[in-house]
Amino acid sequence: MKHRTFTQKSKNNRHTATGSRCPLRLKYMKYLFCYGVLFFFPFLVRAQETAHMSIGEKRMLPIKEGLYKSFFNTGNGKPVKVKKFHLDEYAVTNEEYLEFVKANPQWRKSRVNRLFADTNYLRHWESDLSIGEKNREIYRSPVVYVSWFAAKAYCAWKQKRLPTVAEWELAANAPPKNQKYGTLTEYILNWYKKPNPAVLPAVKSTYCNTNGLYDMHGLVWEWVFDFNSYIRGGDSRAKGNEDKNLFCAASSLDVKDRTDYAAFLRFGYRGSLKGNYCIANLGFRCAKD
Amino acid sequence: MKKNIITYGALLILAACNPEVRSIEKKDCCARKEEVAANPRALPSQSIFQIPDTFETQDGLPRTLSMFAGRPTVVGMVFTHCGYACPRLTTDMKNIADSLHARGDEINFLLVSFDTKRDTPARLKVFAKELELDEKWTLLHGNKDAVRTLSILLNVQYEEDTDGNFAHSNIISVLDKEGVLQYSKEGLEADHSETIGMIRQMIAAN
Repeated sequence: MKHRTFTQKSKNNRHTATGSRCPLRLKYMKYLFCYGVLFFFPFLVRAQETAHMSIGEKRMLPIKEGLYKSFFNTGNGKPVKVKKFHLDEYAVTNEEYLEFVKANPQWRKSRVNRLFADTNYLRHWESDLSIGEKNREIYRSPVVYVSWFAAKAYCAWKQKRLPTVAEWELAANAPPKNQKYGTLTEYILNWYKKPNPAVLPAVKSTYCNTNGLYDMHGLVWEWVFDFNSYIRGGDSRAKGNEDKNLFCAASSLDVKDRTDYAAFLRFGYRGSLKGNYCIANLGFRCAKD
Repeated sequence: MKKNIITYGALLILAACNPEVRSIEKKDCCARKEEVAANPRALPSQSIFQIPDTFETQDGLPRTLSMFAGRPTVVGMVFTHCGYACPRLTTDMKNIADSLHARGDEINFLLVSFDTKRDTPARLKVFAKELELDEKWTLLHGNKDAVRTLSILLNVQYEEDTDGNFAHSNIISVLDKEGVLQYSKEGLEADHSETIGMIRQMIAAN
C-alpha cells in the first residue's frame, strides 16, 4: 500500500513538474516534431514514389541525345537532333494493357469507336476484360491488335507518350549487347524472313541492346507517334514530275542508304499503316521526355 | 498550444493528401476528354469531329472541331512559310469556294497548320489577309498532338525538317455536316469538278 501511494505521489509530482518547471522544453519539442515531420515529408513521399516505380512500374531507360538521319531524305536532308528522352525497357504487355482497359471503359473491345480502332482490335482476347485462361502464355507478351489511337491513349494514361520515328530509330540502332547475333541488320532481316509465330513470345525474349532496351527488333513492330511521316514517292518507283505536285519538298526526296534494306522495309511498313489499323505483329512502347 | 497542433495536423494531412488530389484531378480530366472522344452525343462513330483537342483560330478563339458541325467542311493542311505547294493548295480551295458561290452559313473552309511553332494565330491572320480569305475560312493553330491526330484521320502525311519546314502530302478533304470524311483528292491543281459536285449535293441536302 505504502509503495503504491508513493508511486502515485511521484506521478503527481512529475506531472506538476512538467506543467510548471519545464513548460518551454515541452513546447519546443512539439514544435520541433511538427517542423521535423513537415521538413522530412517531401523526402518521405519521394522515397515512397521511387519504391513504387521500381516495384509496380517497368523501368524507363534514358536515351542519350543524338543525331538521326531520316531514312528517306525529305526536306533539306540534314540529320535531326534528338533530345535526351526515356523509353520503356520493353513493349507494353497484354497484362499491362488489361489494366488500361479496366480503367478506361471506352477502350473495351465492345465499346471502342471504329474511327479509332478497326474490327481487329484486341481480337486475340477472350472478352472485354479477359485475355482468356487459354491464352495464359501471352499475358507477358507484347499486346498487339492495338491501333495508334489506342497506343497513344495508353501512354497518355501512364503520363507518357509515344516515341517519334527519330527517337525510336535512334534508340533501336544501338547494337545488341550479346554478340552472337552478328550485325544488327543481318539479325533484323532474319526476323523479317520468319513468319509470325503461332504464339507470340514474352517480352525480353530476344536481345537487349546497349541502351538496355529489349526486343527493339525481333518480336513485334512498334507504333510511333509520327508513323505517317514517311512520304510516298520516295522509293525507287518515283514517277518523276507528277510527284512534285503531291509533295512540298518532293524534289529532294532521296534514300539515305540504299543497302539498308531492313530500314527500307520498316519505313515502307509504317507508310502503309492507318491510325485505326490493328495488326497481329504490331505493338508499342511508351516514351517520356 | 492545442490549436497549433491541430493546425500542423491539418497541414500535414493536406500535404499528405495533395499528391493524391492532383492525380485524381488528372485522371478525371483525361477520362472526361476520352469520353467525349468515345461517346459523342450527336456525332456518328466515323466523325472526325470527335477528336477532343482544342485549336485556336486566326482571331485567337478556341475551337474544337465539333463546333464546325452543321454544315459541310472542306479541309486542307498547310503551313504558311511554305513557298511552293501550300499557296497552290490554298488557291485550289479558293477556286472550289469561288465556283460554289456558297455563303458562309452553308459551308466551312478550314486550313490547319502543321507549323505549331511559327503559325501563331497572328501569323495565320496575316496569311488569311494576304490570300484574301473571307468569313467562310477558318485558319487553325493546334498543338503537335492535335495536328498529328488530325493528319492521321485525314490520311495526310507530313514530316518536319531541321529548318522547321514541312514535307507533306497535298490533300483536300470534304467532310459532311457531321464531320464524316466523304471525299478527298490528292495533288495540286487537280481536277476538282467531282469535289465541287460532291459539295453541291451536300449543301443542297442540308
